[in-house]
Amino acid sequence: MTAPVSNPVSPNSGVARRIDVKNLNIYYGSFLAVKDVSMTIQPNKVTALIGSSGCGKSTFLRSLNRMHELVAGARVEGSVTIDGVDIYAPTMDPVVVRRQIGMVFQNPNPFPTMSIYDNTAAGLKLNSKRMKRSQMDTIVEKALRGAHLWEEVKDRLDKPGSGLSGGQQQRLCIARATAVEPEVLLMDEPCSALDPIATLAIEDLIDELKQKFTIVIVTHNMQQAARASDMTGFFNIEHSGDPGQLIELDETEKIFSNPVHQETEDYVSGRFG
Amino acid sequence: MTAERGIASSAAGSGRIPRWAPWAAILGTAVVLAAILTLIGFNIALLLVGTAVFSTVAIYLWARAVEGHRQGLDRAITMGISSLFALAMVPLISLLWTVASKGIDRIDVEFFTTSMRGVINDGGGILHAMTGTLIITSLATLASVPIGIMAAVYLHEYGKGKLKKILTFFVDVMTGIPSIVAGLFAFALFAIFFGPGIRMGVMGSVALSVLMIPIVVRSTEEMLRVVPDGLREASFALGVPKWRTVTKVVLPTAMAGIVTGVMLAVARIIGETAPLLITTGAFSSVNLNPFSGRMDNLPVFAYNQYRNPGVPPEPFIERAWAAALVLILIVMVLFLVARFISRRYGTELR
Amino acid sequence: MRIHYQEELTRLETQALGGFDLVNRSLDRTMEAVEHQDLELAQIVIGDDDQIDGRYLEVHQGLITLLATQSPVATDLRLISALLHVIKNIERMGDQCVNICKLLPIVGSEPPTDQEMVNQILSMGKKVRDLNIQAKRAFADRDELMALDLVVQDDFVDRLNKKCFALAIEIGDDVDLREWAMTMLLAARALERMGDNAVDVGEQVAFIVTGLFREFEDASHPL
Repeated sequence: MTAPVSNPVSPNSGVARRIDVKNLNIYYGSFLAVKDVSMTIQPNKVTALIGSSGCGKSTFLRSLNRMHELVAGARVEGSVTIDGVDIYAPTMDPVVVRRQIGMVFQNPNPFPTMSIYDNTAAGLKLNSKRMKRSQMDTIVEKALRGAHLWEEVKDRLDKPGSGLSGGQQQRLCIARATAVEPEVLLMDEPCSALDPIATLAIEDLIDELKQKFTIVIVTHNMQQAARASDMTGFFNIEHSGDPGQLIELDETEKIFSNPVHQETEDYVSGRFG
Repeated sequence: MTAERGIASSAAGSGRIPRWAPWAAILGTAVVLAAILTLIGFNIALLLVGTAVFSTVAIYLWARAVEGHRQGLDRAITMGISSLFALAMVPLISLLWTVASKGIDRIDVEFFTTSMRGVINDGGGILHAMTGTLIITSLATLASVPIGIMAAVYLHEYGKGKLKKILTFFVDVMTGIPSIVAGLFAFALFAIFFGPGIRMGVMGSVALSVLMIPIVVRSTEEMLRVVPDGLREASFALGVPKWRTVTKVVLPTAMAGIVTGVMLAVARIIGETAPLLITTGAFSSVNLNPFSGRMDNLPVFAYNQYRNPGVPPEPFIERAWAAALVLILIVMVLFLVARFISRRYGTELR
Repeated sequence: MRIHYQEELTRLETQALGGFDLVNRSLDRTMEAVEHQDLELAQIVIGDDDQIDGRYLEVHQGLITLLATQSPVATDLRLISALLHVIKNIERMGDQCVNICKLLPIVGSEPPTDQEMVNQILSMGKKVRDLNIQAKRAFADRDELMALDLVVQDDFVDRLNKKCFALAIEIGDDVDLREWAMTMLLAARALERMGDNAVDVGEQVAFIVTGLFREFEDASHPL
């Protein structure tokens, strides 16, 4: 059964989705980067992915919205389904998949030639969604309010997005991602480039956002994973050059108070080599 | 005791040489050298080079004695580099001065408002040459910019593998083409269709395009490279297809730089003489049609005025210098506009 | 990795467990004071309790510092939580010895004694001493079975306490012995509490090992 190409799940309904990953292997050419991952990402929850550098967590995250395909030679085996719809089906257009899933990156990247307003509406404008100005105004305000940025920028919506501080820029990127009301929000180390105060502000924001979205966040910062997530998945590689694997996925409080695997215990306690 | 040896031992000498020391060194050396040279045979070049070298040595010794070895070396190198810079500036300044002083005589209203139609000796102007340069250069730009930008976009955003390598190679080759070869190409191309005697404004544009395209490609590619990949990623993550990402995100971000690059390319080709000599020919009246007949232009005009003066030669030589001066001024204006655009509209890419 | 952190945690555990030795020393002297009605020895015990209190404060402070600076998780976190409980129990045990010693002067320096009751008290003291050693060993070795066995051993102490109670009632008719018997009963109660403290330590051992925090039921009625 193939879903219509332009409409993989119902149009962005603003309902958080559940992601089921089954036996996912991610290849770059012949190199296996991530091996045999199976997990379920719960709707309206924050799932954090932790693990040391190079263990495949970012690669895995990007495979959830097919962004890893931007690298030549990338392919997957196994399935990723969002509420039952396989996003890797042959008829599925990756561009359409990405419209349903929002992504925020480590280095805030607002578009420098666009105003704050245009940046927030970029997901709509760049895809030539036609709508009345008043409609777009509502969407932009809602997104900026949701990102806790409205009060700070409401008087300068037409100023360029690059004039903001790092933390504000990241919130602008979050507003941009949420404006199109995706069902899933992916965040790749969203706070790594920010100072501690901005980081905590984003974490509070994430806590609120999970009421509307399913959130997956990759982080290097274990304390952040402990603070901000409901579920935590630990990725690891045996030796350099081996594929990354999911070692353990469980409720965050369990991972940090009484994990099952010794590897997980060693990593969270900082006893890693 | 170790601390003393550590920081204390690198302490400077007891004093500092006075602020006017470098100037004194230069002046002193120059005077001494001039005196010596007057005796053995004056030579301006020797004077200049000798001053540069010996004043550097003098400053080094002076500073070393007063301030310490490291400071001495520091000052000497500063002096050396400054002198070399000054030496390099000499020909440039000399050239500008010569052209300005020789060309200024003929800069008047008549010069800009009349052509050479019916002019035997005195008078006349460059109206026809200026319109010619304007038309030929504009056509060349009109052809080169779209081709150049699209080629650069292809090479940077889409190209991969063998085709990209081949294209890059050819662009590299094109940047090195001597301008006369570009002219010969245009000449031969039109000769096929129209015979060898043909001369047209548009032929000059074709020749100039061949020279201009690789410059536009290179500078546009450079500007595209400066656009951070993070912006492309952000756009892709929003589900924006690649071509839209390029046209709505990448190009606008790079636009100021691209425009600057184009203006610099124009400035580069506007003075090319060799290709225009054999393609556009010369003509004494204003010709506004690039597709029919010879069209004069500033570099060819200046060349012809100098090469084939009448009797007496002075008015012709004057006109040549003045045309050259106008050319330099146009290029200067183009550079200034390019910088202005870059500064005003260029986006700070963090 | 995190060598300083590991070393500090180990050091604090050693310090905490060393508290058992301090307690047993106090306990031995307390029992001797009871046996011989030695009021001077009782005073020494009371004075030396400062050492136990000092140990408590020192370990407590060290643990708080680790919590503040090292963000301990998983086993480390459970260990630190357990050590906080253990050192509290040790401090309580020290206080119980002091309580017993404070009771002795109440009845004067040559009180009438019932030898049987004194023997019961001394048996309890010996048993509690063994309990402390076992608790310390169970914790150091993270031995869950040994910890569970503490419940069984504590039963002896509880039974001896009940016997003391019965004896006290018997003696109660004798007006001269009555006051003395009451104080001895209080002493027995203190010892029984110390037994419970040791069992608490055993519960902490189970917590570290399993991650489950539970009260030990009577071992003969397993969950």
